[in-house]
Formats: sequence, structure tokens, C-alpha cells
Amino acid sequence: MKPAPTLSSAFLHPVGHSLPEPLVALRKQRGTALVDMPLPTRKTENWKYSSKYLKLTDDMAIALPAEGKTGSSLAVPGYKVAFLNGVMIPEASEYPDLDGITIQSFDDLSDEEAADLADRLDNTLDNNAVQMARLNSARFEDGLLIRLSPDAVLDQPLFIVHEVTADASGSAFPRIYVDAGRHSQITLVEEYISSGSEPVMVNTVSEFTLADGANVTSIRLNMEGENVQHIGATGVRQQRSSRFESHSVGFGGPLRRHDLQVRLEGEGAECKLNGVVVTQGKQHYDNHTNIEHVAAHCNSEETYRNIAADQSHAIFNGRIHIHQDAQKSNAEMNNKNLLLSNGAEIDTKPELEIYADDVKCAHGATIGQLDEASLFYLVSRGIARREANVLLTMAFINELVEQIPVAVVRETAQTRLNQFFDQTFEEA
Amino acid sequence: MLSIKNLHASVEDKEILKGINLEIKAGEVHAIMGPNGSGKSTLSQVLAGNEAFEVTSGEITLNGENLLDLETEERAREGIFLAFQYPVEIPGVSNLQFLRTAVNAMRAHRGEPEMNAAEFMKLAKEVSKQVDLDPAFLKRGVNEGFSGGEKKRNEIMQALLLQPKLAILDETDSGLDIDALQVVSNGVNALRAEDRAILMVTHYQRLLNHIVPDYVHVLAGGKIVKSGGRELALELEERGYGWLGIKDEETADSSAN
Repeated sequence: MKPAPTLSSAFLHPVGHSLPEPLVALRKQRGTALVDMPLPTRKTENWKYSSKYLKLTDDMAIALPAEGKTGSSLAVPGYKVAFLNGVMIPEASEYPDLDGITIQSFDDLSDEEAADLADRLDNTLDNNAVQMARLNSARFEDGLLIRLSPDAVLDQPLFIVHEVTADASGSAFPRIYVDAGRHSQITLVEEYISSGSEPVMVNTVSEFTLADGANVTSIRLNMEGENVQHIGATGVRQQRSSRFESHSVGFGGPLRRHDLQVRLEGEGAECKLNGVVVTQGKQHYDNHTNIEHVAAHCNSEETYRNIAADQSHAIFNGRIHIHQDAQKSNAEMNNKNLLLSNGAEIDTKPELEIYADDVKCAHGATIGQLDEASLFYLVSRGIARREANVLLTMAFINELVEQIPVAVVRETAQTRLNQFFDQTFEEA
Repeated sequence: MLSIKNLHASVEDKEILKGINLEIKAGEVHAIMGPNGSGKSTLSQVLAGNEAFEVTSGEITLNGENLLDLETEERAREGIFLAFQYPVEIPGVSNLQFLRTAVNAMRAHRGEPEMNAAEFMKLAKEVSKQVDLDPAFLKRGVNEGFSGGEKKRNEIMQALLLQPKLAILDETDSGLDIDALQVVSNGVNALRAEDRAILMVTHYQRLLNHIVPDYVHVLAGGKIVKSGGRELALELEERGYGWLGIKDEETADSSAN
């Protein structure tokens, strides 16, 4: 038997960018633990359909330099933090100095603040389930810490634009930590974009802790190029009566993986997770979500839609785990999938584990094609076939796109969707 | 306007239409009656261009143009409109978006400028009143959650918006209570015009009390077995189909085999 492949030691090189000592120490400790880390294979259950798309070469181990120009596909109207290859660029960032809200790059933390953060990093993620997140902890060069004091409200969405410049092979390790105090509120947009065409890897970790009554909306827009392997993880821990909303819109690539883990730890906490994935050509996209109902009286609502064209491959794996004490849990998960070509593949797997006896838990998953009767109805009214295809495909995801609470994100997604339609549906 | 000559059509290799001949002139209203399984709906679908039905021989022309050479959407733009017996529900596409896209497709075909959202909204509200539909329905998904009667009224509303040359009404009366039948009939009568023809396909005579046809044809076993005026429908109501040698629906079904 062939030995299982392990992470090349090239990826464990020391990093260049300076950080406060406690974070350097954390990185080093995490790096040591990664020696001989097995890479996911077809036999790794949560990478079953995706391991074949993961292609890490030694020249991708190099940290991409944090210099060059930054741009964004979002004409960002308000607060913005720009990251280039995982390092914050203050000159391209613009955000307010508001009472009760601190937004800092890891670089700017005092040793005391950094020590406090080092204690908290990784605590939202089950690292056994999200192996690749460990690599981010060993390699992040910078990051963004957002702290909201009790009752603090950010009055506009904050855009975090993560750009990688793939002018040479390498990697970037964006990192975010959001600490939302009691009854605080924030809407955060993470946009992932790229320039250049060399093969690169982006390995992200975003963590959110929500104290009692906190209200966090997280929007994730993945629009990186065909040369970017993206492996991201988001971890969320929610205390009593907090609310977390996630809206993700992702376009495929050579490898796209996002793990979203939510722990409902305080009674009355609720989360809503929406996701749209669109793949074409030979693209891939894999969403793995995990909702842990730890406390009683929590609600979770999850809706994901995949659209796969050409020979592309989309994967959804949604796990809901209702712990023994989580009585009166209410969990709903729905995943619908649309295949636009015979060569496309979609794999969907709902996983429910329920250990409490008084819960409401519903799930549904479907895979289908565009409905012929609906198409005929539309074209019988003189609507061009291409337009009818677009209307029906949009209809499949409209409900989710319309729920994204930031107009510029909806518009950006729509523009990219229109390109997808142009490439997928021929003119008559 | 519409000329059908010796039309044969099959679905899944089963011949349903076995030589239909029909001439419809502008301004005329024709009714096609017949038992279930006689081929009435097949004729409607073939005229609209449903690819599930294969035309094996014969010809159809609209104002001299060969309809069979045209795709469904091209036929619609040339003026063919089919009011469906079972309109589909399309959640996620709003009625407003659907109707405006359709109207603008027609306008583009005629070389007219697009209607903007505000202009169209005004027009759509007016027309929805004509068929007694609450304009709030415009914001809902296409036919989504509509009652049977609302769906039929939506079909007629589309005909009023699209102003076709030939409107084909497939069992438009089915599933309607008497009030809805009156509303739908008023809508259809509003469509009657010198330059437009209407082809009604119906199982029952009662629609013809509200929309009085110029000609009535009886379709059985995939052929038109009798044609006449308005009085033929009344005779069918009184005597059934038996006197034409069509015993009952089952017989008609098996004769189509």
C-alpha cells in the first residue's frame, strides 16, 4: 500500500512578515503540529469528492509578497479593509474610529492584546474536521481583529477585500477574528478576488464569537480566478439569543472548498445560513456546513443552492448535530441542485445526528434539470430560448440572492451571474 | 389566416392527429369540440410548436408562412398564442418580469422600443382589471399558488397584452365557476377583432353560450368528422356525440390507438 500523502515540509517554512511575539509563538506551535499532517485523500470522508482537485506543489508553499496594487470588483460604498496576499494594506483601507468598535490588523496589536487573541484563535473550529484550517494557523502573516463592545453597532457594512496577486506561484493565508460583544451588531462582507494567472492557493480562516444578543451578518463572495485553489473555513460560536446570518455566493474554480461551522451554545441562539454556488467548465466547488445545536431552544435554518454547468462539479454536505440537552431545537436544512448539462456532477449529503427527543428537524435535497414544461410556456410567449433559460436559472436562486442585505453585493453577484449565463446559454 | 392541410402528428410514435384540414379566416371564431382523447389538445400543442409532438405529414401556414419551419418563440412572435389548459407554475420568476419580458420580445420583433418598468406596470394594471385579477398578483411568481380560475384569467390577460393574430384557447372553460367563466368570456370577447382569429378547443358547449363561435368542428379519432355553424354545438349538447358514430370517450380513446 502506498503511504498516505502528507503536507510537504515546504509549507512549514518560517514566515517573513513581522507579528507580535505571542502570535509568532502560536504560529510556530501550530506549525510543529503539522509535521507529517496527512493530506486529504478519496478515503477522507469529508474530502471524498474533492481531494482529487487539491493540487499542492512545493512552489505554492511560498508566501505571496504583500506588495503591489490593490483593486476590487466591488465599488465599495462605505467602510473597507483591504488585504493583499493576506496582509492588511492600511493605505487602501478606510474605516471609522467609532466608540466601542476597534478594527485592527494583527500587526498593530500590543503584546497583551496579541496574547489574548492567541488564546482565542482556533477555538471556534473543530480542527479535526477542518484539517486545512490548521495550516492557516501555522502560516497567517497578518489578520484582522474586530472587537465590538456591548451594544456597539456598526452603522454600515464593513467590506474586507481579500485580493491575491498570482504573478508567481505561492500562497496567501487571510485571517479574520470577530469578537461581537453583548447586543452588538455588525454586517461584514468578505470578498475574495485575484489577479495574475500563476497557480496559487488561498487558505482562509474567519472566526466569529457572538456574546448574548449579538447580531452578526457575514457575507462571503468568492470570485477568485481559474488559477486559485481556495480552501476556507469559517467558525462561529453563539451565546444566548444571539443571531448569526451567513450569505455566501461562490463561483467555481480548480478547487473551492468552504467549511462553515456554527455552534449554538446559548439558549435562544439562532443562525440562518444561505449559500449559492455556480460552477461551469471543469470547475469545482465544495461547501461543507456543520451546525451544532448544543443548547436548548435554538433555531437553525439553512438553504443552499448549487448550479452546475458543462463538466463542473458541485458538492454540498450539510451536517446538523443536535446534542442530548438541546431540547426544543428547531432545525431546517434545504439543498436544491440544478444540473445544466449531462456532463455536470452534483453530490449532496444531508447528515442529521439527533440525540435529543423533543426537537423539530427537517431536511430536503433535490437534484434536477430545467423544467421543459416551464421552458415551453415561456417561449410560447415569444420569449427567446436563451432568455427563458436565464429566467428559469435565476428563478432557482433568486430567493437567496434577494435576501443578501447589501445591494452592491447583489449587483456584483448579478454581474458575474450574467457572464455565466452568456457563457452557458447560447444566443438563438 | 390559418390553413391546416392533412395534418398528421404523433407523440411517442403513437399517431394522434390523422389528417386534419381546417381553414380559419381573420375575424372568425372557430370552436373545436370532441370527446377526451380525440386529439383536441394535441392540435393546440402542435400549433404552438411543442416539440414533444412530431408532425409526420401535412402543412400548417399562417398568412402564407410555413409554421412548421418556425420555433415556438418565432411562432409566438408571428402571432400565435396558446392559452394553456394547465398553465405551469414558475416560482422565482415574477409575473411582472415574465409579462414584461414577453411583451418586449414582441415589441422588439415589430421593431418597437422596449417598454420600461413604469410604462409596463401601468399597462399591466389596466389589463389585470379587465380580467378581474388583483394587481398584487403581478408581484407573485408566475401562476404560483393561483387557483384554477386565476390561472385561466392570467392566460387571457396574456392574450390581451400580447395581442396575437390567432388565439388558441385550450379548454379555457375547464375548472371555472360561473362567475369566473363570465370574466374569462368577457376577456375573450374583448379579443375579438377583424384582424384576429380565435380557435376555441372545448369539451363542453357551455363556453359557447358566452363566446359565440362562427363555426363549430367536431374532432374525433384524430380527424374532423363534422363541421357546422353555432347550431352544431347545441345539437351536440342535446344529443351527445353518439349520433356522429362516436360511442363514448373510451371508444374515442381506443380509436385513436
